[in-house]
Amino acid sequence: MLAIPSSIIKNMIAHARELAPHECCGILSGTEHTIAEAYRITNILAALSEQDLTRFDGAKLTDLQRLSPEERADIAFQMDAREMAMAQRDIRSKSLDLLGFYHSHTFSPARPSQTDITIAMEFESYRAKLHLPEPFHLIVSVEHSDQPSIRAYRIRESKPTEVPIHTLP
Amino acid sequence: MIKVRIPTPLRPMTGGKSEVEIAGNTVSEIIDNLGSAHPGIKERVYDEKGEVRRFINIYVNEEDIRFLTGKDTPLKDGDEVSIIPAIAGGS
Repeated sequence: MLAIPSSIIKNMIAHARELAPHECCGILSGTEHTIAEAYRITNILAALSEQDLTRFDGAKLTDLQRLSPEERADIAFQMDAREMAMAQRDIRSKSLDLLGFYHSHTFSPARPSQTDITIAMEFESYRAKLHLPEPFHLIVSVEHSDQPSIRAYRIRESKPTEVPIHTLP
Repeated sequence: MIKVRIPTPLRPMTGGKSEVEIAGNTVSEIIDNLGSAHPGIKERVYDEKGEVRRFINIYVNEEDIRFLTGKDTPLKDGDEVSIIPAIAGGS
């Protein structure tokens, strides 16, 4: 179970709608199983060089290389590292934890893609050394813009398991 | 020597190693020496202006170097440097 205030759910959906067809992304802070705050982070994918794109896995890389820089942000996101670091600093100053990450899918359901899983596992490989808790991975689908859906997952050993969301007033 | 953690996308340049030991007194020296030992890495960490690329964070122990003294951050034996790409994903 992951508890999220309704204002934060609305904020994430609004973020996804504002950036569609591009994917949005952000960080969530809180304690244990309750989200306290969301930080919008810039998706810098369109600004990445061809060389930078090689941080993505083979299949996604091939897809990205076929698209114009602008279109690439429709099928993927890359968080701005500086903004992510600033958010992490703010989270620590409030004695909260980095509890999760969210991003939108603008043309597909709210399920982790192979790229999401691969990069979640990459994060997992260094997470403990930075003393960060296991994150929740949230996906906001605005595939059907009048019926947005939001789902949370734990991703362990490359297997996503959905975690029910409890909306707080 | 400083232990440097190498992210998955850069491991082909370190022969698959996730950690390497590199000599250096500052983060900048570590990246330079890492680049000499493993050609190609420095260009992947720095942009054309010599700044850390926008999707990469460099940590000394648990602190981002942006909140220390950047690339001039001094290092001592036992410190660990982690090169970590910010979270990404896709549909």
